[in-house]
Amino acid sequence: MSDQSLIQLVDVSKIYHLESGDFIALNHVSIVIGENEFVAIMGPSGSGKSTMMNQLGILDVPTTGELLIDNRDVAKMSNLERTHLRRDSIGYIFQKFYLIPLLSAYENVEYPLILKYKKRDTTGRARAMLDAVGIDHDMSAHRPNQLSGGQQQRVAIARALVNDPKILLCDEPTGNLDRKTGLAIMDILCDLHQKGKTVIIVTHDPKIAEYAHRTISLEDGKVVES
Amino acid sequence: MSDIFFELSVRSVRLNFLRSLLASIGIVIGVVAISSMGMLGTNMQLSVKDQLSSNVNTVILTSDVVKVSTLPGVAAVNGIDASTLNDIKSSAGQNTVIPIHHGSTQFSVGSNNGRGSIYGLDPTDIQKFLTVDEGNSIKGGSDALVGPTIANNFNLDIGSTLKIGQPNVSVVRPVVRVAGILTSRGITSDNVNTDNAIVVSDQWYTDHFDDKDVYDQVNVILQNVDTINQTEAAIDKKVNRNNQIVRITDASSRLSSITSTLGTITTFIMAIGGISLVVAAVSIFNVMMMSVKERVQEIGILLSIGTEKGEVRRMFLYEALILGLIGAIVGGIMSFLIGYTVVQAMIGSTSYFFRPESLIFIPYGMIIGVVVCVLSGLYPAWMASNMDPIDALRSE
Repeated sequence: MSDQSLIQLVDVSKIYHLESGDFIALNHVSIVIGENEFVAIMGPSGSGKSTMMNQLGILDVPTTGELLIDNRDVAKMSNLERTHLRRDSIGYIFQKFYLIPLLSAYENVEYPLILKYKKRDTTGRARAMLDAVGIDHDMSAHRPNQLSGGQQQRVAIARALVNDPKILLCDEPTGNLDRKTGLAIMDILCDLHQKGKTVIIVTHDPKIAEYAHRTISLEDGKVVES
Repeated sequence: MSDIFFELSVRSVRLNFLRSLLASIGIVIGVVAISSMGMLGTNMQLSVKDQLSSNVNTVILTSDVVKVSTLPGVAAVNGIDASTLNDIKSSAGQNTVIPIHHGSTQFSVGSNNGRGSIYGLDPTDIQKFLTVDEGNSIKGGSDALVGPTIANNFNLDIGSTLKIGQPNVSVVRPVVRVAGILTSRGITSDNVNTDNAIVVSDQWYTDHFDDKDVYDQVNVILQNVDTINQTEAAIDKKVNRNNQIVRITDASSRLSSITSTLGTITTFIMAIGGISLVVAAVSIFNVMMMSVKERVQEIGILLSIGTEKGEVRRMFLYEALILGLIGAIVGGIMSFLIGYTVVQAMIGSTSYFFRPESLIFIPYGMIIGVVVCVLSGLYPAWMASNMDPIDALRSE
């Protein structure tokens, strides 16, 4: 573990105001994740895993407390700054892959580059990323619905990596894959960690969590083990 | 550079081709309605204007008072008397003054009866503003000129005779002989409409219609059209010095009032065409809302991996723009074809169709169509860009 903190949650609470009353999804959570860590976030359903994931992914802001990424307070950023931080610093890998259905595999990987540089990729970076995850030329011309689950997840990983983010945020990355494919995906993630990425995996599968160097367990919105 | 958001919009339109097509047809109809109505109105204005402006140098004087006759059985006389005519002549300067008797009469050609206008003019005045197409002008007596409509309808030739007046067995009607047939004048602005009229000498007219020295109308034909205001003012000062005796009008004021009326009608029928664009706007709005609702998860993906709100908005506005452009381009082409056909059918001539002021309605209609489309897409685009990415991702 590096001693330089990349992500810091300081006394973070997330409260949803529902008609049936307030629901506390995260209850005074404080954790620190350093650079080049491989962290698993575990817990049963309803424990606050997804809420935590949304906080770490800057898709949401804490109700109280501070979330610092690279020592910048997320709550104090404008919407546009948060969008740019998501684009440049975080790679997302989802259980359901979430590729853009109207774009080909190649275009899906190229997309974050277009968002960042406002032009089509001419550097060959998107192509190189696809090669790195084992998606060949022919396959990359296909739309997501023409690819298998494993192939889609590889494309998703390539997309997550193409802007060279510091953080890889994975939400049940193997949840929709068979065991063998799941293992292959985990190998890719381990490899990326070796190459210096900070990998955060949200999972309820202890076998997947075993890959991580540290496990943060959540229960009823509180950290019970870190 | 090809814009990825434009590309996404194109693919979305293609994916829902039929739906997009139907929405675009609404725009096509709207564009066609506005453009062809606009063109029709403009062509109408142009054709009327051209017909009227040939007599634009004429000042028309009509009586403004009704003289009640003291003789029993004689109708009230509404006309310009001899002394007023002298005043007009003295104040009109070098310009040509034409006193005109005008009435309406029944007539018979053989056993066929008809009705038309009858003008009594000094034979020397006739050539100053009327053109004889066939035969000769009249010199007096019972010679008459007839308009082309009458000549056609009653198969009149030079030398044919007409009986003037109401067919009545107990009265012998006066007879005129056709000396010439006039050229068609169409709609005129000097208020002398001879197409369906008989023109006789003033002498013959007053002999048979009792209007001696009372004129229904006096036309002043100007040598220089730019002096129209001074001439009118001079006549007004002299003739109407005590009372309002004559009403002074001219072709230009009639022309502008007619064209402005036609303009109003054009605007009105274009507004009716505009209603179809409102309907089209609703259908575009509906299609855009469907597109947004169907793509909620995709919007969630786009937003979560770092797409700016403005970029999402742009994507949906592009979609509306594409629908609008398709509708506008097809609508523009169809406006040209339908407009041409409608103008041909309703005006009978397309000689004004290719004028810029007529064709301009095609780009107008197209621009309005595109603008309506983009406006209809504003709210759906705004809604898409302001979705919460977490909720959007979670939706199935």
